[in-house]
Amino acid sequence: MVLAQILLNGILLGGLYGLMALGMALVWGVLNIVNLSHGALIMLGGYTVYYLFTLAGIDPFVALPIAMVVMFAAGFALQWGLLNLVVRSKMLNTLLITFGLDVVLTFAAQLVFTADFRTINPSYAGANFPVLGLTVPVVRLAAFCVAVALAAGVWFLLNRMPLGRAIRATAQNLTAARLYGVNPRKLYAITFGIGAALAGAAGGLYGMISNLTPYMGASLTAKSFVIAIIGGLANPFNVILGGIFVGIAESLTALYIGPTYTDVISFGLLVVVLVVRPKRAVRAA
Amino acid sequence: MKTSLTLALAALLSATALTGAAMADDIVLGASVQLTGTNANTGRYYRDAYQLTVDKINAAGGVKVGDKTYTLKLDLLDNQSDVNLSVRQYVQLVSADKVNFLLGPFASNFALSDSSVAEKYQIPMVQGGGASTQIFSRGYKYVFGTLPPADDYFASTIEMMGKLSPAPKTVALVSADDSFDVSVAKGTRKHLADAGVQIAVDQTYREGASDFSSILTQVKAANVDAILWTGHETEALNFIRQMKGLNVNPTGLSAFTVGVPTADFRKALGADANYAFGMTSWLPDASLKDRWFGDAAQFAAEYKAKFGYDPDYHAASGAADVQTFVEAIEKAGTLDPAKVRDAIAGISFDSLYAKVKYGENGQIVLPQVVVQIQDGNMVPVYATDFMTKPMYPVPAWDKR
Repeated sequence: MVLAQILLNGILLGGLYGLMALGMALVWGVLNIVNLSHGALIMLGGYTVYYLFTLAGIDPFVALPIAMVVMFAAGFALQWGLLNLVVRSKMLNTLLITFGLDVVLTFAAQLVFTADFRTINPSYAGANFPVLGLTVPVVRLAAFCVAVALAAGVWFLLNRMPLGRAIRATAQNLTAARLYGVNPRKLYAITFGIGAALAGAAGGLYGMISNLTPYMGASLTAKSFVIAIIGGLANPFNVILGGIFVGIAESLTALYIGPTYTDVISFGLLVVVLVVRPKRAVRAA
Repeated sequence: MKTSLTLALAALLSATALTGAAMADDIVLGASVQLTGTNANTGRYYRDAYQLTVDKINAAGGVKVGDKTYTLKLDLLDNQSDVNLSVRQYVQLVSADKVNFLLGPFASNFALSDSSVAEKYQIPMVQGGGASTQIFSRGYKYVFGTLPPADDYFASTIEMMGKLSPAPKTVALVSADDSFDVSVAKGTRKHLADAGVQIAVDQTYREGASDFSSILTQVKAANVDAILWTGHETEALNFIRQMKGLNVNPTGLSAFTVGVPTADFRKALGADANYAFGMTSWLPDASLKDRWFGDAAQFAAEYKAKFGYDPDYHAASGAADVQTFVEAIEKAGTLDPAKVRDAIAGISFDSLYAKVKYGENGQIVLPQVVVQIQDGNMVPVYATDFMTKPMYPVPAWDKR
C-alpha cells in the first residue's frame, strides 16, 4: 500500500515536473536556446497567480489562463526586444544572456515581492479523497490534468495548425521557411512567448502545492533541464512522460534509498540518458 | 597647470579616502549577512537587529572606554546566501576593512565556516545565528554564540509530551541534512531514548527539498503519535501543506524547530498553521530588563515601528550580540581583541534577550519555550511546566 501511494505521488508530481520542462523543451527545440531563466519565468508566473488570487480574489485555476496570457506577453517582449539579437549566435552567448536574465529577474523579484514566503492557498488547497485506500490530493491531481491538457494543446498546435507547422519549419530549415514567407523574428517571439506561458502555468500550480520565493527558479531550471533531456525535445507528451519518470524515480529513491539521495538519482539519470542515447539531446521539433 | 590639477585630484582622493575609512573614535563591528538569496527572509532579522541596537547604543552616548567615548559603526556585507562568499567576506572584513570585532551571519552552516576566520585572525566573533553544537566543539577560543545548543531544541517538547494525556509513545523524526538539523536530530534521538519514546520513522532529507510526499506516506503508514520535524522555514511550509494534502494526521501532535514563531510563516499558512507546535528561545516579555531598550517588550515595539514586522528570537539574539561587545569592551577598558575576548568569556549581564553568560565552549545555555499556534496566534504553552493549556490532541485535518 505504501508503495502504491508513493507511485501515485510520483506520477502526480511528475506531471507537474513535465509541465515545467515543456516550455523549456519547446524553446530549446525550436530556438536552440537553453533558457537558463526558465525557472525565473516559472517564479514570475507563480507570483502573477498569487497576486490575482490574493488581491483580486480570482480563483487560482481561473487565474492560470490570465497568468499564461501575461507571461506570453512578457516572453514575446523578451524574445522580440532582447533574445532575437543573439538567437543565431553561438550557444555560449545565449547561455550567458539567459543566465544574466535569470539574475536580473530573481533580484528584481526580491525588490518588488520581498523575500517573504508566499503560498497560493485557496480553501481546497489541502483537499483530498480516498480511492482504493490511497489518498489523492485534489490540487495535485488537477495540476496533473492541466499538465497533460497543455501538452496535448502544444502537440495540436505544432502538428495540426499552420502556426505550428511554421514553427517547426523554421526550426528545421530556416532558409526554406523564409522562402515560404515565414517571418522568423516574429515566430521566435511567439514560440518563446508560448514557452513563458507554459512556465507561468507551471508556476501557478507550483505555488498551490509548494510555496513561492524569488529564489525558487534556479533549482526548477535544473530540474526542467534534466527532464527536457530525458523526455527529448521532439514530442510534448514525451516531455510529460520524462517528468513522470523523474517523479517516480525520485519517490522510489526516497522510499528505498533515502530522501537525501533524490537529486543524485535525477541528475544521475541525466548522465545515463546522455551516455546511452546522446542523440536525444540534439534539437528537433 | 597639469601638476596642480594632479595635486588637486590627489587631495580630493585622499579626502574621500578619509571619510570612507573608520574614524579614530569609531568601533567597527563587521558582519556578512544573508540580505539576498534563499536565506534572506531570516537574514533580515540580523541586519535590522544589528542596526537598531547600534543606533540605540549610539543615541545613549556610545561606548565608554576609560575616559574616551566611541561611536559604534556597522560594516555589513551581503553574502547572497552563499557560504563560500560569506567566508571570503569575513576575510575581507578583518584583513582589508580592518573591523574591530565580528558579528555573525544567520544559520549554523554559515557560522560553522565563518567562525574559522575569526579564530584564525584572533578577532572575537559573537554570533546569534548558529546553534549547531559542531560550531562549539572545535576548541575555538574566539567564537561565542547566543543561540542555545541545537541538540537540546526538542528537550522541552519531549518533556512536555511526557506530561500530556495521552502521552505520545511513538514519533516520526524528520530532519534536513545540514549542520543545524543534523545536530538537532542527533540530540533528539538521545532525548527520545531517555524519555522511553519509540522512533517509528527516522528520515533525513536533502536540504532545500520541496516534495515530502514519500516521507509523509511512510509516516502515515507508521501511524505515529507525534511528528518531530526540523529543517528550514520554506521546507516546513511545504511539509505542513503536503501533510494536509495527503491527509496525514498524527494522533497526538506535530512540532517544528523553525517557522512557528515567525509572523510571516503563520501568514503564509493561514488557518493550516493552527495547532502546530514550535519553540522559541525568546519571548518579548517585559520581565526581561535591558540597559538600552528598557525591556524586551519595548524592544519589540521599537523594532516593529521601525521595520514594520515583528521581531522573533533571531532578532533578539542578534541584538544581544551587539550588546555583548559593548559590555565586554567597557569591562576590558580596551579595544585589544585578546583582552575583549577574555572579557566576553567572563561576562554576565541582563538583556532584552536573556541573561547573557557564555559556557566553557562559548555557547549560551537557554531553555526552549514550547509554543503553539492557537487561532492564528503564537501562544507559549510549556517551559518547565505548562503556561497555557495546549490544544491537544490535535484534531485531524477534516475535523478542524
